Amino acid sequence: MKRRTMLRATALAAVASLAFSGLAHAENPVLKIGFVGVTSGPAAAWGTSNQRSMETRAAWINETGGVEIGGTVYDVEIVAFDDQKDPKRAIAGMEKMAQDGIHYVVGPNVDDGAAAVRPVAEQNGIIYFPYAFPKELYTPPASNAVLGMVANYQSGPAIYKYLIENHGIKKVAFVAANESDPLSQRDGGVAAAKELGLEMVSDSVTYQVDTTDFTPVLLPVIQTQPDLLVLSGVSPANAPQLIRSARELGYTGLISTETAQDAGVLQEGAGELADGFISVGGASTPELASDMMREFVDRYVAMFGEYNDESNTKVYALEYILETLKANPAAIEDVEAFKTTMDTFEAPNPFMVGDAKLTYVGMTSFGQKRQLSVPLVVNEFRGGAFETLFVAQVD
Amino acid sequence: MSTSTRLAGVAAFLLAVFVLVPWAIAASGRWDFYYTLTSVALLSIASAGVWLTFYIGRINIGQGAYALVGGYVSAILMTKAGFSFWLTLPLAGLFCAGLSVLIGLPILRLRGVYFAMVTLVLTEVARLSALALPVTNGAKGITSIPLPGEVSLFGLTLIPDFATLANPKLAFYLVAALLMVLCFAALYRIVNSRLGHLCRSLQQNEELSASIGVNTAYLRVLAYSISSFFGGIAGAMFVAISQSIYPSSFQVADSVNFMLNCFLGGLGYVFGPMLGTLLLYFGWDLLFTTGRFQLLIYSSLLIVLMLVLPNGILSLLDRKGGRR
Amino acid sequence: MEQILVNGLYLGAQYALIALGLTLIFSLMNVLNFAHGQMYVLGGFVTYTIVSQLGLPFIVGLIGSAVTLAVVGAMIEKFLFRPVIRRSHREESTMLLAAGIAFFLDAVILLLFGEKQRGVPKIINGVFNWDFRIIMPYDRILIGVLAIAMIAAFILFMQYSRAGRAMRALAQDRVAAQLMGVDVDRYSMIGFALGAMLAGLVGGLLVTITGVNLGMGGPTSIKAFMMIMIGGAGVISGAIAGGFILGMMESIGLTVLAAYGDITYLVIFASLMVFLAIRPQGLMGKPWG
Repeated sequence: MKRRTMLRATALAAVASLAFSGLAHAENPVLKIGFVGVTSGPAAAWGTSNQRSMETRAAWINETGGVEIGGTVYDVEIVAFDDQKDPKRAIAGMEKMAQDGIHYVVGPNVDDGAAAVRPVAEQNGIIYFPYAFPKELYTPPASNAVLGMVANYQSGPAIYKYLIENHGIKKVAFVAANESDPLSQRDGGVAAAKELGLEMVSDSVTYQVDTTDFTPVLLPVIQTQPDLLVLSGVSPANAPQLIRSARELGYTGLISTETAQDAGVLQEGAGELADGFISVGGASTPELASDMMREFVDRYVAMFGEYNDESNTKVYALEYILETLKANPAAIEDVEAFKTTMDTFEAPNPFMVGDAKLTYVGMTSFGQKRQLSVPLVVNEFRGGAFETLFVAQVD
Repeated sequence: MSTSTRLAGVAAFLLAVFVLVPWAIAASGRWDFYYTLTSVALLSIASAGVWLTFYIGRINIGQGAYALVGGYVSAILMTKAGFSFWLTLPLAGLFCAGLSVLIGLPILRLRGVYFAMVTLVLTEVARLSALALPVTNGAKGITSIPLPGEVSLFGLTLIPDFATLANPKLAFYLVAALLMVLCFAALYRIVNSRLGHLCRSLQQNEELSASIGVNTAYLRVLAYSISSFFGGIAGAMFVAISQSIYPSSFQVADSVNFMLNCFLGGLGYVFGPMLGTLLLYFGWDLLFTTGRFQLLIYSSLLIVLMLVLPNGILSLLDRKGGRR
Repeated sequence: MEQILVNGLYLGAQYALIALGLTLIFSLMNVLNFAHGQMYVLGGFVTYTIVSQLGLPFIVGLIGSAVTLAVVGAMIEKFLFRPVIRRSHREESTMLLAAGIAFFLDAVILLLFGEKQRGVPKIINGVFNWDFRIIMPYDRILIGVLAIAMIAAFILFMQYSRAGRAMRALAQDRVAAQLMGVDVDRYSMIGFALGAMLAGLVGGLLVTITGVNLGMGGPTSIKAFMMIMIGGAGVISGAIAGGFILGMMESIGLTVLAAYGDITYLVIFASLMVFLAIRPQGLMGKPWG
């Protein structure tokens, strides 16, 4: 029955967005923001949660009268392109965005796509917000990419330090899928763990993303008896199975990852075996979520039938783009103006309680401000939901 | 078909590719079509290679492997040895051709689905090798590859430095289209030569052609290496455009698509892969406005097309004139 | 060591069941069904919907998956493959059709069931632990046993039932079977439905352990292809052997080669290529399948 309502909701949303963008708000000029990412195939979950957060927020803004930038009220329209996780398609998507006169694009979701679109973005004056971690995308001479989330080489050390201080872990093991993104993240994590003085008991075990049984994969890892098992760059689809296999093999230590996960998926896939699993999340845990975040979640559910906790980290990019444009309206047509504003920009973070700020960071990691300051919220899974373990900031 | 109509056809095609398309793009302002058409040109080169292996009766689902290898050869030569891109382009093709001889000698003995499956596995082997080998920089890929540089002869600039061009998109399009024309001309020449006749005999009955003295093993390897050469240069060219390469730049999905392009265009027609690539790639791009129903509509159209024209789109020609 | 073997056996049982359906379809119609993995995923989602969302018992979900997929398979054969096979010059043309169907099922699954990973709660709790030499959760043992039982049932069906005999005759020689009065169209349809049903059943079985997501289809097809290549395409015993061999190779390779990094699958794939170069028809296949 959930399926039916979800279908109906999507159909309604599609019709509504078509009708509304054309008629109801025809008086407002339209501000187009792009999205290039993967919304079909094996990694569909990453891009879909991304695109849906943007669409939810855009619909919300339009419903409440649009966004005012430099004295003009705009309606926000999200132009989405499915790159099928293929870097060649991602280039085509970026060309489409350039053709539509779009200057701000969220995505791509993976390393190879983010690297491939760089020439197009730079030639056409597009600022893009990838969810990919390679440092060369953000360090000079590159200047058009802004990292949309906390990188694993930033969150990893914070988590390990916390676990050393609070749980006294000494031995750590890493497991990663044999794909570019997870392997790069594993290498970053291994380096960070060694720097903190942790003993590396296993860092070479990998698995194919299509693995259906992780017991043979994890067997040699568990035999090294680590205190902490890090699932580097694990996709939400694989995480519950890995946790389940590790626990069933008798592993009792801690398990963590540096990517965002979905509580529902963990609950269905691993149940109580996933209790204590540590992952990085956004600000939707009860302790941190502001009223605005709660309303966002409600609206997301109303539009798409079911929330995805990965969206907690993906709600920010659109907000940053709009707020920065508000701060410097000239940036609507001129990305150089946007870049100048990035250095000084500051606004309150509407999604979190307290006085957190939206700013651009990244001086330490990239030598220039090319990263969104997203609160580094480290969550622990317990009883079907996430609880906040600690919150940190990236500089 | 008489020589004069054939020449007229070729002239019309060249005119369309090199004059009409740039003119139409300039007139309509759809600059993004340059990249789309560049992709079509390059992917159709790789598909042409697959088509040639079909021509000797082998289903090749491994072209992605050679595209990846070609891309890496070009990228490594440029970044580590400082070669000019224009030199790496033929070298990438030749390296793939050489590699395919080594791989082809044992596996070309296989037929039917067995050959198809082994080539499919080959794509995955290429990806995993790229992840594991030190020279490819593993999972981190090779990024920040320079644009193609200048080529000059006696102080006369033949090809300008792409980095200084106001519109590198157009330049890439012209290069890709030129490569495509050359490759299909070569393919046409091969098919209509003695070699082509021998290949056809292989497609129909290998034992029979061997019994009348055709060196089937040599022919198979030759056709396969030409096919891989095409894959290699297509891959190398893509590296120049994206200025980066990762182990996932060409994957199983690409290999399958190359094969589908050939089916869609028609296995019996030299220009089948070109038409197939154009339709499959452009089709997906044009459906981009349908949002979440893109894949549904795309796949439904594929199935319908297959039901109506099971022998490829160019089989329409058969019905009309009964010619090949 | 015991653990590695048990892991391999469990993997092999589930792989063999996947490969059976694929090889059945191939032997009857010479169609390499690219959509086999998608059918498996569809089966998983049907069971998920019945068990997790409607709250019905697991066995109902399994039956639901089997019936749904059998119907889908029969439809696909009757309205898609049959006309295309009749009219195309080269039988490989069905590959494009199969790939189109795979894309289509992917799209339908995405629209109906969404992009998230789904799972069904464990059907039995608890872990069998023999002195830390063999560790095996009870639900895995149950699924493994069920898979082996299904394989046995399938073999018996093919061996002794009227339909099974007709299909074997068809696989051996299509023309001769037709001359002997076997209704080729009917049994092709039944065979396709049966193959699809097997895919759906595995999907339903495994959703309790590995869960299901829409991306599993393509890779599952490729794995199944590899298994039938090892055993010999179109041969039932070959598919079973291929499944168990691949399962064993993964289990052993992942343990033995773990220390050397990302090379387990590279080694498996490369040795498969070498094996096929030496023995082109697989273990038990007809030459030139």
